[in-house]
Amino acid sequence: MAFVELVGLTKQFGSLAVVNQVNLNIEKGSLVCLLGPSGCGKTTTLRLIAGFIEPSGGEIRVGGKRISAPGASAPPEARNMSMIFQSYALWPHMTVYENVAYGLRLRKLSKDEIRVRVDEILSITKLSALAERYPAELSGGQQQRVSLARALVIKPETLLLDEPLSNLDANLREEMRFEIRRLHDAFRYTTVYVTHDQSEAMTTADLIVVMNQGGIEQAGSPEDIYQRPESEFVARFIGGTNIFRGKKISADTVACEGGLNLRCGSGSFAAQGDTAVSVRHHDILLSEHKPTASDTNAIAGTVARQIYLGSHRDYLVTIPGGETVRTVAPVSVAIPVGQQVWLNFPPENCRALAR
Amino acid sequence: MWGKRAAIIALTSAVAWSANLAYAQDGYKVTPELIEAARKEGTVVFYTATDVAVAEKLGKTFEEEYPGIKVQVERAGSERVFQRIGQELSTGVYNADVVETSDAVHFQMFKKQSWLASGLPEEVIKEWPKEEYDPDGQFAAYRAHLSVIAYRSDMIKEEDAPKGLADLLDPKWKGKMVKAHPGYSGTIMTATYAISKLLGWEYFEKLGKQEVMQVQSSTEPPKKLAQGERPLEADGNEYNVFRLIDDGVPVKIVYATEGTPLTVGNAAILAKAPHPNAAKLFYSFLFSLKAQQLNSDFGGLRSFHPGVKEKAGRTPLKDIKLLMPDVAGQEAELENIKAKYEEYFGT
Amino acid sequence: MASSAYATPFNRGIDFSKPVFILLAAILAVLVLFPLFWLLLYAFTDPARQFTLMNFVKLVSDPAMRRSFGLAIGMAALVGVLACAIATPMAWLVARTDLPYARFVRILVTASFVTPPFLGAIAWEILAAPNSGIFNILYRVLFDRPTDDYLFNIYSFAGLVFAIACYTFPYVFTLVANALDRVPSDLEDASAILGAKWLTTLSRVTLPMVVPAMLAGALIAILQALTMFGSPAILALPAGFHVITTKIWSLFQFPPKLELAAAAAIPLLILTILLLRGQKWILGRKGYTVLGGKSGAPRVTELGKFKPLALLFVFGILCLTVIFPYAALIKTAFTETIDASISWDSFTLKHLNFVLFDFSATRLALFNTLLLGVLTATVCTAISLVVSYLVARKSVMGAGILGVLATAPVAIPGIVLGVGLFLSYANPTFKLYGTLWILLIAFMTIEMPAGYQQLSSAFQGVHPELEEASRILGASRLKALWQITAPMLRTSVVATWCFVFIGTIRELSATILLTTANTKLVSVIIYDLNESGDLGAISVLGLMLMVVSFFVVYIASKMPLGAGRLQPRG
Repeated sequence: MAFVELVGLTKQFGSLAVVNQVNLNIEKGSLVCLLGPSGCGKTTTLRLIAGFIEPSGGEIRVGGKRISAPGASAPPEARNMSMIFQSYALWPHMTVYENVAYGLRLRKLSKDEIRVRVDEILSITKLSALAERYPAELSGGQQQRVSLARALVIKPETLLLDEPLSNLDANLREEMRFEIRRLHDAFRYTTVYVTHDQSEAMTTADLIVVMNQGGIEQAGSPEDIYQRPESEFVARFIGGTNIFRGKKISADTVACEGGLNLRCGSGSFAAQGDTAVSVRHHDILLSEHKPTASDTNAIAGTVARQIYLGSHRDYLVTIPGGETVRTVAPVSVAIPVGQQVWLNFPPENCRALAR
Repeated sequence: MWGKRAAIIALTSAVAWSANLAYAQDGYKVTPELIEAARKEGTVVFYTATDVAVAEKLGKTFEEEYPGIKVQVERAGSERVFQRIGQELSTGVYNADVVETSDAVHFQMFKKQSWLASGLPEEVIKEWPKEEYDPDGQFAAYRAHLSVIAYRSDMIKEEDAPKGLADLLDPKWKGKMVKAHPGYSGTIMTATYAISKLLGWEYFEKLGKQEVMQVQSSTEPPKKLAQGERPLEADGNEYNVFRLIDDGVPVKIVYATEGTPLTVGNAAILAKAPHPNAAKLFYSFLFSLKAQQLNSDFGGLRSFHPGVKEKAGRTPLKDIKLLMPDVAGQEAELENIKAKYEEYFGT
Repeated sequence: MASSAYATPFNRGIDFSKPVFILLAAILAVLVLFPLFWLLLYAFTDPARQFTLMNFVKLVSDPAMRRSFGLAIGMAALVGVLACAIATPMAWLVARTDLPYARFVRILVTASFVTPPFLGAIAWEILAAPNSGIFNILYRVLFDRPTDDYLFNIYSFAGLVFAIACYTFPYVFTLVANALDRVPSDLEDASAILGAKWLTTLSRVTLPMVVPAMLAGALIAILQALTMFGSPAILALPAGFHVITTKIWSLFQFPPKLELAAAAAIPLLILTILLLRGQKWILGRKGYTVLGGKSGAPRVTELGKFKPLALLFVFGILCLTVIFPYAALIKTAFTETIDASISWDSFTLKHLNFVLFDFSATRLALFNTLLLGVLTATVCTAISLVVSYLVARKSVMGAGILGVLATAPVAIPGIVLGVGLFLSYANPTFKLYGTLWILLIAFMTIEMPAGYQQLSSAFQGVHPELEEASRILGASRLKALWQITAPMLRTSVVATWCFVFIGTIRELSATILLTTANTKLVSVIIYDLNESGDLGAISVLGLMLMVVSFFVVYIASKMPLGAGRLQPRG
């Protein structure tokens, strides 16, 4: 049985359902990422789990026990969770030590025990030297680590993170991602992590839950989500992709505009109407000559833009029907703008999307 | 328990009733028992319209005479005292023990509302003229004073000074006068009524055009004289002027040729006094020769006690043409006086 | 299930926010709605409590009443204009130029803000009464003028406008100075880089941006002037005219005309509501006055050769509003009479002696004033804190209604509230008249909006996640409020407390109708003493009141509050 269960979880503000019928099982000790654009309901879901807001429908169970349901929710303080906030929410009137010790003091531990626990977590998070500083005297990364230490020191059953890295600069963000994963591996707390950054999710998560418009689009391992998106939204949101649209003309082929027929190696087709086909930028082969293979999965186009990016070249190619396809090619493939090129879409890289 | 309490109440009221009956005829005496009972109560609350310094001095003298009993002096203008008593008693707040204002009408009203206790001190029955205390023994004339014209003798020469009320209408006094307000001061209410009967409202209509500085209490015009804010007062307490003269301020009193309004200040014990015994003791003290002489000497008040000796240099009452108050007439005119006054004076 | 020794949080206590919400809503409703109900009831009924419009007919048909309304509105409007004329240049000089002693100027403006207007009016009596006023005496002596000539007459319409403006201009000053502090310099730089001279930038960019703040401040000043009782009672009555507040007060003279007083209060109430709506509209329309001033320090204009002139202007204003009045009070407190010259011979402790030892009301009044000040400030701050918390964090459905209730009394002028409270509580059912309770209720109602406004804006500055961080770690709502929010709001809480305290001790409008002998306050005995002309005693009492209040405010600012410290080091 999953440790944290969301069952039909719904939250409405007025008539707007911000979270709509969300069902999710989170295994004990796993790290789950709620991923989605802003306004998709991921933060609301997290705050529902934390107990800051009460659901309008459905329920949340932890360890089989119901903790949230309309009219019957335990307050946040009774959930034995801890949380890392986007703003870090360090209390400016307390030192690093006091910030970290706060949760232990609430639990009425003895002074000595608090000291041992706090010292331990401070050394794990490399903060020992800063214990007597005030938050205002710390850098962003240090503040972030204090926030982590404060959340971890109470040994929560569940750890919640709300966009914890969005206030850091790029280098630090990358470093902290691995730090979070390292600490998770060390402590194995059941963790729910909210972010809008797909690479953050890919680095840290055991399970990625892509959310859109209050519902779950797809849940799966990073590989699942990337390799096998189940909707156009997921395909677009995770990694760069080109979407082609067309009618299914055979068991595995979709006819798109401009005479491009794509045979798809995986995915599902719409029973009626258009099916979308996703092909990632780097999965397209670009060449000056017509590929020798069959007449499907290839089309000629004109280079509209070409940018040298050091490790590769980034191409925009206009194909008949007016669509623009984005692809990458090795540095050695240098084709000037305006020239005709051939694009080849290997069927194993074409994924049909019913949604 | 309830039975016992009821019995005590019945008993005490019976005693009070029989005692009242006796006092009404020949006045009560200050007995050691009364002093002891008063001392147990410890405090007496005195609502008064007499000048604050005079009233406080009286309180201090009483405290010296009867150590252990504190006098709480609450001084305001007569009409404010009256308004306050009215507000308090009609809402069931019993703060005051003894009340004194300079507006005789008030005591008629208090009496009608049955707010006053009966019983006068022995001294009043023996010494006071019969018409200066209530036949039912509910109040007595504690003081009398005049509302007078006065001027700064260093600013106005004696020959230029007004001789009577009519002289105040002379244009040369425009912007020079100060006067108190009948809506606030009982003394001025009494005086305004008496003068309006004597000279008619035209007098006030003309006076209203003289750019008179309007103050509230009748104790205030003499103080404005002392400050030098105005050289002439159209009305104001005689006793305050006396006190200024005693302090060496160059002021002179004019007893108007038309007559000077006399105001009688009554005092009474309230029926629901929170400190009934201290109230009786203090009340009797108010009418003692000592207090009355102090009122005269320090306060410049006129007294009905025949034993009181006027200070040298003060014109005795018998030499002054007085306008006597008409309580009943004034009571009927109350609203009209205030309305007319506002019409002519703006407030 | 528990994964470690620390897993079980100690606290599974119930959430108190719902009952607290209901309790507060009830308290606020009683405070605000009850007196309003009685006010309306009396205004629209006759003494037999039958419906009638006669009270209003009487009101309109009485020329004296109409005059008092006209004068009050005219007076208030002029106060608004004068306050702007004084305060706006002064605020600009202090906030945006290299004027020396700017900090000191701000402190002195605060001092004039703290001065009760009635005390200021009395001080101005001492200074500018036509004959005995110190200025007029000096004028006669210095220019050898006849004894009845005078330069100023404070007992006049103009004098009243001036004396009120002296103590209401700080509203405009504070708002404009704050707005100027927040106009970011890049807006001005943008104008400068487009080629505008500094004067153009000042008049086209900087000043237009603070106009809403100025108008908002002016409306508060007008509102204050309109609803003020003390100063008109001291200055207008001797001049022979009523304004609406003194008129309402005179309706309480014997025999009290409660219905008429209630009816007369209604237009004042409506006017107040209209003014407040106006203020909200002005502030709301031009949102740029509330700027998130992120971009750099404000630009400073160098005054150059105008510096002495500017300094003279500011100093002149401060002399008129603070320095002269206090000097006059000090002089009067320690000399025999107000026209006595200042020398060792005329020095006297007579008034001090009288106030401290002879005047029996002093101690009781001082005690009552301080007690009520402290009680009101504490209760008001506590309620405002919880209300603004509930509203800011929207933690209970309908919390917004609390905010509305807590702000509503701002529309009820003191004297109107006094009438309403008198009608509500001075009856045989409640018997609160004559107790300190009725005054506490009055002060709480009057000060609630100020307290709520201050704290709710402070709450916006505290990120909700700071509280949530504490709750998720195991603190209950109230514990988080006490351990996290309160210490961080400490400065605001102390400021609110002091603000309410000062507001309470300077209150006279409602107080004058609600005190009795045993519930005397210093403000009322000062007023009573003024009626009997004892300026020396008033000066002593007034100064004593100010010293004591500054002392209390000082102590309050040193009080530890909640857990933790005020400011991070460094």
